[in-house]
Amino acid sequence: MSSDERGPSRLQNLFKSGGRAFSLRVHRKPGEDNGPGTAQPGELLSPASGSVAGRISEEATDPGSFDGPANSASSMAPPRSGAAAAGPAAAAFPDDVDPGGSGGGGSASATTTGGGGGSGGGGAPAAGGAGAGPGLAAGVGGAGGGLMAQAPIPEHRVRKFHKLLEAPVVDLDALRELSWSGVPLALRPQVWRLLCGYLPLARTRQASTLARRRREYADMVPEYYAIPDSERSEDEQAAFRQVGVDVPRTAPGVPFFHTDIVQRSLHRLLYIWGIRHPASGYVQGMNDLVTPFLAVFLSEHLPGPMEGWAAAAVTEPIMLAVEADCYWCLCKLIEGIQDHYTYAQPGIQRAVFRIKELVRRCEADVSDHLESEAVDFIQFALRWVNCLLVRELPFALAIRLWDTYLAEGTGFSEFLVYISAAFLLSWRDRLTRLEFQELLLFLQRLPTADWTEAQLERVLSEAFILRSSYSDAQSHLRLG
Amino acid sequence: MSHKPDDDYDYLFKVVLIGDSGVGKSNLLSRFTRNEFSLESKSTIGVEFATRSIQVDGKTIKAQIWDTAGQERYRAITSAYYRGAVGALLVYDITKSVTFENVERWLKELRDHADSNIVIMLVGNKSDLKHLRDVQTEVAQAFCEREGLSFIETSALESTNVEKAFQQILTEIYHIVSKKVLDSEDNRPKPGEGRDVIVIDNQHDDGARKKGGCCS
Repeated sequence: MSSDERGPSRLQNLFKSGGRAFSLRVHRKPGEDNGPGTAQPGELLSPASGSVAGRISEEATDPGSFDGPANSASSMAPPRSGAAAAGPAAAAFPDDVDPGGSGGGGSASATTTGGGGGSGGGGAPAAGGAGAGPGLAAGVGGAGGGLMAQAPIPEHRVRKFHKLLEAPVVDLDALRELSWSGVPLALRPQVWRLLCGYLPLARTRQASTLARRRREYADMVPEYYAIPDSERSEDEQAAFRQVGVDVPRTAPGVPFFHTDIVQRSLHRLLYIWGIRHPASGYVQGMNDLVTPFLAVFLSEHLPGPMEGWAAAAVTEPIMLAVEADCYWCLCKLIEGIQDHYTYAQPGIQRAVFRIKELVRRCEADVSDHLESEAVDFIQFALRWVNCLLVRELPFALAIRLWDTYLAEGTGFSEFLVYISAAFLLSWRDRLTRLEFQELLLFLQRLPTADWTEAQLERVLSEAFILRSSYSDAQSHLRLG
Repeated sequence: MSHKPDDDYDYLFKVVLIGDSGVGKSNLLSRFTRNEFSLESKSTIGVEFATRSIQVDGKTIKAQIWDTAGQERYRAITSAYYRGAVGALLVYDITKSVTFENVERWLKELRDHADSNIVIMLVGNKSDLKHLRDVQTEVAQAFCEREGLSFIETSALESTNVEKAFQQILTEIYHIVSKKVLDSEDNRPKPGEGRDVIVIDNQHDDGARKKGGCCS
């Protein structure tokens, strides 16, 4: 994609978006228009993400990062065809799931999951969104197979991923569109790094950038972390303790995260993130946001299903590289939702309000009932938004959800509103039958333990449809 | 609206669980309401809700308990739940003195956001970890006497004194309420508060779900 195409589409998107977070992008450095696709795409130039100035300059020089146009790009089609595409495949090969899949150290060169190979026949990708759903519910192995299990992805989709990744300069918009409906397990590390804007799109630059970014992170450890307590301010000591309280409570259902080496790593990463982002600092629940990154980047180095990973295979240098990748990707993820975590959490309050409004507009019965029972959305949806629904889903599905978030780019927090509404409405019948107490208890612990990818993808498809129906209407109003 | 047998109660008391992160608030709640304990529980984000009914003087007291996130960042949101609460369990960890030192700040939170008549009980949790004790019982006790708080040490893990803690605070609330010491005006439901409200008298009930006639 040439720079000439990029610029205007960005601007158009800016208008369409009604000035969301990425409006900062207008402050681009002179000369940046000359070939953003090749100059330094996807790089985070300024490590000074702690300051506002640093963040702006990061964004301004960062054409490959979370990207406005993704919103419109992804809304062109993928969910309706693509999201459902994984469904039929899963139905056709219920047992053919390779939960580990990622085969050794290879990243971009790795092939698809074991099950993916011959499954293309099952996946007529145009099989029509929600329609693909109902037949899949009966125990088809989405999440059921393991912590990182994935239903087979049709081979033609996997080939498309390979083709995109092997191009001299990765077509980010195409990658976003393709990734929206799920990324093959083995390709996730590389694809996520690209979608986050952490890795440059130009292949020749990727290895050196990755090495540099990992070095930069490694340098932060002695600077911020490995210092005596006496050199920390009182606030920093409190943050250190807070992270220390939460790390052992991170994803208790994922045993590998509770090995010593991973625990130490999580503590470093979250503490350093907090210190370098003083506007919010570390906030409880951010530990949950790291977990998908952690699992996926570890999977590059550990063969087989996560359940069988051996901590001994993770050397300190490997852990530090994984940690660095997690750190930078977490930075990018949170970049657009900083106000979720600042004082009084205005971003979350706004998102919860919008979820409520959306539900009211599309299912007044549900919202009337919740209201008449005095259940307030903040009582259950605060956690949804704060932890981006990680807490509400089996771990394998949280990872799958990350595919879509990262594909959405900066717009993902906008889309989260639609996902949350669709998620809530997936229990619409039950909700309207419950009273206050049962309602709250139910909403606090939604029965998703047996959910498969097909069920999550149905929610995503419905969210997509909601967005098509309601966000267009809204932006139309705004423009009119 | 249908009535279920277990929804019959004479009094509905709203109680909040507050205190620093990691002191065991959620486990105290799950021990009391479900007799469960988990060493692997996740941090609480925002608030979580549970209930249990107990008997006091032949009356059924339903405790509606709101467990809150410990981190300061959540206080702007969680402090809204102090409204209408008639009791607060302020929890610290006996093995971490910093969590006891922060009790003053939590008391200030309550003074700023809760009803002035709220019954507060200080709870030193994790009493099973005797060898790691960092806060002496006498020190906490003396503090409570100065501040006019009730005090108890508990172990959610060993289920020591958990029942007693809740029983005690609910009984204390009951005695106050039944003597109408609380100024009912302060506890009158405000618009939008729904059920987050102590049932002081019939007019304040939020719906027809309670069997009537309390505080008489």
